[in-house]
Amino acid sequence: MSGGNRNFVFAYAFLVVLPLLGLAGVLKMGRHLAAPTSIDGVWNLQVDAAQMTSLPCAQAISAFSDQAFSISQSGPDFVINSLAGSQTIGSGSLEGNHLSATLNSVPVPSQNSCGTNSNFTLLAAVEGPADSKILTGKLVAGACASCAPIPFRAERRPAAPSKAGH
Amino acid sequence: MPNLFNLVLQITVILAVCRITGTLFRKIHQPRVVGEMFAGILLGPSLLGWVAPQISAYLFPPSSLGFLNALSQVGVVIFMFLVGLGINPKELKHQSHAAVLVSHVSITAPFVLASVLALYLYPRLSDSGVSFTNFALFMGAAMSITAFPVLARILTERDMMHSKLGTVAIACAAVDDVTGWCILAYIVVLIRAAHAATSIWITLGGILLFALFMIYGVRFLLRGLERTFHKYGEISENRMAFLILLALGSALCTERLGIHLLFGSFLMGAIMPKEPKFVRYILDRFETVTITLLLPLFFAFTGLRTNIASLRGPAMWFYCGLIILVAAAGKLGGSTVAGRLSGMPWREAAGLGTLMNTRGLMGLVILDIGLDIKIISPALFSMMVVMALVTTFMAVPLLDLICPQEAQRAKPQKATVGQETLQEIA
Repeated sequence: MSGGNRNFVFAYAFLVVLPLLGLAGVLKMGRHLAAPTSIDGVWNLQVDAAQMTSLPCAQAISAFSDQAFSISQSGPDFVINSLAGSQTIGSGSLEGNHLSATLNSVPVPSQNSCGTNSNFTLLAAVEGPADSKILTGKLVAGACASCAPIPFRAERRPAAPSKAGH
Repeated sequence: MPNLFNLVLQITVILAVCRITGTLFRKIHQPRVVGEMFAGILLGPSLLGWVAPQISAYLFPPSSLGFLNALSQVGVVIFMFLVGLGINPKELKHQSHAAVLVSHVSITAPFVLASVLALYLYPRLSDSGVSFTNFALFMGAAMSITAFPVLARILTERDMMHSKLGTVAIACAAVDDVTGWCILAYIVVLIRAAHAATSIWITLGGILLFALFMIYGVRFLLRGLERTFHKYGEISENRMAFLILLALGSALCTERLGIHLLFGSFLMGAIMPKEPKFVRYILDRFETVTITLLLPLFFAFTGLRTNIASLRGPAMWFYCGLIILVAAAGKLGGSTVAGRLSGMPWREAAGLGTLMNTRGLMGLVILDIGLDIKIISPALFSMMVVMALVTTFMAVPLLDLICPQEAQRAKPQKATVGQETLQEIA
């Protein structure tokens, strides 16, 4: 083997083969990592419509009263969008299996007991296996003294076939 | 039914903005394609949607984006056919040790660094619906790709296409692209197979059979097409339609086999006869519509999915900076070290590393697939798009800094036909 060829073989082993072995090690190490619970996808919302409409603040979060919404997740952070028109409804973060989000409220008339600047918080827990996740929680109106928290339940629709699963 | 007025308005606005931005970028010595990629970001939620949300909502209502996406994907299918056409496997067979080493290192170095970075990013930017292996492999593939068309453009503008540096860079970029696409195909198969009823081995066997059929069956047919061209000096409309059908059929087959439309069109381009006049003739019939009309739609659609505003807080920008740093260290650093160990002077090796670091349009195509199959989150997609833009944008100024004498030294020579067209794309 000539000197040039020998150098090539050494360089190749050092710069290509060795890193590939390292890659195998990294992939093995990464299998033990845990990522935040997946809540990405479309959710069917079940909420007591009568209770919702009786709220002084119902108008302020009309976008959330749709029958479904979607969550776009990036790690522990997420954005809630309406299905019709992909309007952003709110955003929040996930800690373990508990999520909290602030909903964007639209201004309501000042004579309404809701208050003009009420903020809404969505508090929920994620349960169930990956293919049938369920959210259970409540909607809380921060600045509205006369608004009782509204319980809700949401069920995730089955993921699209292309989701990058395990 | 698509709202035709809205669709035509969208196309008009996109083409106008892409042309203007592309021209402005040419004035600062950047390839036009970088300006057009940038135009896509300007039209998306990162700028237009942020500054003028009502205009953005009027121009790009969410219900209309499906049609824009469909048109843009047709453009990318044809573009990948052209990229495959520009790659000549015969040229790759006779590469020096330097090219072999640099091309392989320029894949493994960013790949390994990206997978190490994935250890840090996975818990922060992914979710439990994506496995770490898929996440890390995708990050590696997205970081190891090189924008073959942009590279060819830069080399020609600097009269470096036939310099030693230019020859090695083009060969390495071609190897990188083929390897990158093979890795991506493997990841897509893994992901889709997890949800499919068919076994992964049947899928892989199907892909192998299809590739053999294309290489040994369809290529034989294409040689007949080439002979007809040499006999009559042109190809009849019927034969041209047959060629388009083959490209689309190949794309449909790979999609049906569980990879992606783009792999089929790329393979079809790669197995085409490479006689320069024949290639030129085919390219002339495809390039205008693809380059001036359909690709800008892809840039715009990618821009509409990129929301830089989603990178909220210093942590997100830190991740983004880290991604750019790792991508540049792997590709630029890895190729430079490999070039130096292959006997190139430091300056030339660094020039090679700079050229290999351009990701451009090819990077966006891969990222788009990643977002579609939900292997990367929207925020990570935005970060990776920023990385692809930054690494492509930095190529020309860095090259000016590293190899200022290269343009004067190299003899001006013509590029091969496939490369020439890819330069026009860029």
